[in-house]
Amino acid sequence: MKARRIVRARGVLALILLGCAALFFVAPDVLAQSSPFGAGTPAPTSSGGIMGWILTEQARFFRSLSAAIREAKADGTAVWGLFWLSFLYGIFHAAGPGHGKAVISAYLLADGSTIPRGIALSALSAIAQAITAIVLVGIAALILGATARAMGEAVRVLELGAYAIIVLFGVMLAWRKGKALIQALSRETAPAGHTHDHSHHHHGHDHVHDEHCGHSHGPEPQELAGKDWLKRGLGAVAAVGLRPCSGAILVLVFTLSQGIFWAGVAATFAMAAGTAITVAAIAILAVGAKGIASRLASGGNGAGAIAVRGLEFTAALGIIAIGVLLFSGLLASERMFPA
Amino acid sequence: MTFRSYLLAAAVAAFTFAFSGGAQAHPHVWITVKSDVLFSPDGKVTALRYVWTFDDMYSAFATQGLDKDNDGKFSRAELAELAEVNVTSLEEFNYFTVAKIGPDTLGFGKPKDYWLEMNKDILSLHFTLPLAQPAAQKDFSVAIFDSSFFVDLSFPEGAKVELVGAPATCTAEAIRPQGADAAASKLTESFFDNLSASAQFGSQFASRIVLRCK
Repeated sequence: MKARRIVRARGVLALILLGCAALFFVAPDVLAQSSPFGAGTPAPTSSGGIMGWILTEQARFFRSLSAAIREAKADGTAVWGLFWLSFLYGIFHAAGPGHGKAVISAYLLADGSTIPRGIALSALSAIAQAITAIVLVGIAALILGATARAMGEAVRVLELGAYAIIVLFGVMLAWRKGKALIQALSRETAPAGHTHDHSHHHHGHDHVHDEHCGHSHGPEPQELAGKDWLKRGLGAVAAVGLRPCSGAILVLVFTLSQGIFWAGVAATFAMAAGTAITVAAIAILAVGAKGIASRLASGGNGAGAIAVRGLEFTAALGIIAIGVLLFSGLLASERMFPA
Repeated sequence: MTFRSYLLAAAVAAFTFAFSGGAQAHPHVWITVKSDVLFSPDGKVTALRYVWTFDDMYSAFATQGLDKDNDGKFSRAELAELAEVNVTSLEEFNYFTVAKIGPDTLGFGKPKDYWLEMNKDILSLHFTLPLAQPAAQKDFSVAIFDSSFFVDLSFPEGAKVELVGAPATCTAEAIRPQGADAAASKLTESFFDNLSASAQFGSQFASRIVLRCK
């Protein structure tokens, strides 16, 4: 009996630690409120040298894009330089903070997956984002002759839609993972010597492993079974893909004004390729972190299962938090000049 | 098992660190700032007269769809509505300007004499930003920056601040942020190391005007 209590206490401790980790994840964004200009103008948060370097590179690549577009206009062969720059910009831009990879990686933490699937979701979301920007500028600027302001308003609507999807997606995930967590907790509190009954295991991905799964490495077989991984991850892809990046829109409109819109379209896909690489790298980290967590927690007792379910549930709550902060405007999204 | 829980939490924390940078972005818009200081006949500072010149990419973006008569040129009338929107929206961002006497921050009135001008595909916003109350010259300073750093505002190299109607004893200095000359961007590692959301972080990348009157 005493041993069981210790196990339970450890499970609780693991949950508290996970909660702290989740706070760490959301806190910098919330703390970013204080600003000399008051609400609506979030201040940059403190950041280490690596993030500073990433931002420097982003700014440098973005700055050189307009010159590359001018060169491409004058000399057709210079488009390759433009594509290469766009690709590098995509890599660095995605390495900076952004909701895209936060949502994708939190999703992968919450709903275990394999590395190839993490890469597939990253690539799909980057391509979707490129297509959104191209369709938006193509229809609004090229066909309708819309103003920057009208495009800005369209982006705002897309953004709010994307943020609403993040919240919904997070709520659905949290509901699923919350149930799994409760299940794991109730097993832990069930009388000793409990032998589990497999008849309720028809929800493959909600399946909770405990004793018999001590050897589990990485994602659990039932979670990965079936073809619905793509369907489940589609919410994440939609949430990321629906919000076009400001850099792509600027490049598209600028190439349009220079009469080489096609080069802007190709450059946008080059950016997406770069973005996909970075987001995929972070997705691999997420899948790896989840794998390590599952392995560490698979100590052959219920506390491990609780810790993993707790991690998944926390990641799902993290997605909700990201969505709510973005939707409410508390977390800054990219803004251009006020217009 | 407790150790494992710690490790697990550490793994999660290390991972989340990878994308928990917060509300940061790199500038998408670059503005070259020209700023003059206007004085009243009795020698007080009354307003800042700005010309903000945008980078070529943003210039093309902002003027998209505004050439109503399709003559390939943007008349002041075609740009009037955008100029109105710009100065109105800028109020929310306090015109990216902090004017002070010593430590005290001064308020602004509504912008006056504003218009946009397109010259060789480069857009400039002209506006005069009056102080809410005319201010004494002593210890008057201005800092120009976007705290969220979506917009990069800087003086060009060798920028001069014109003093209009100032007492002959006054001079003004345009100070570019440190490191601005060294890199294409003002973002340096030390800049980010020192950056804190609390006090005066803007001071590290603001363009400044310092007024001195004998």
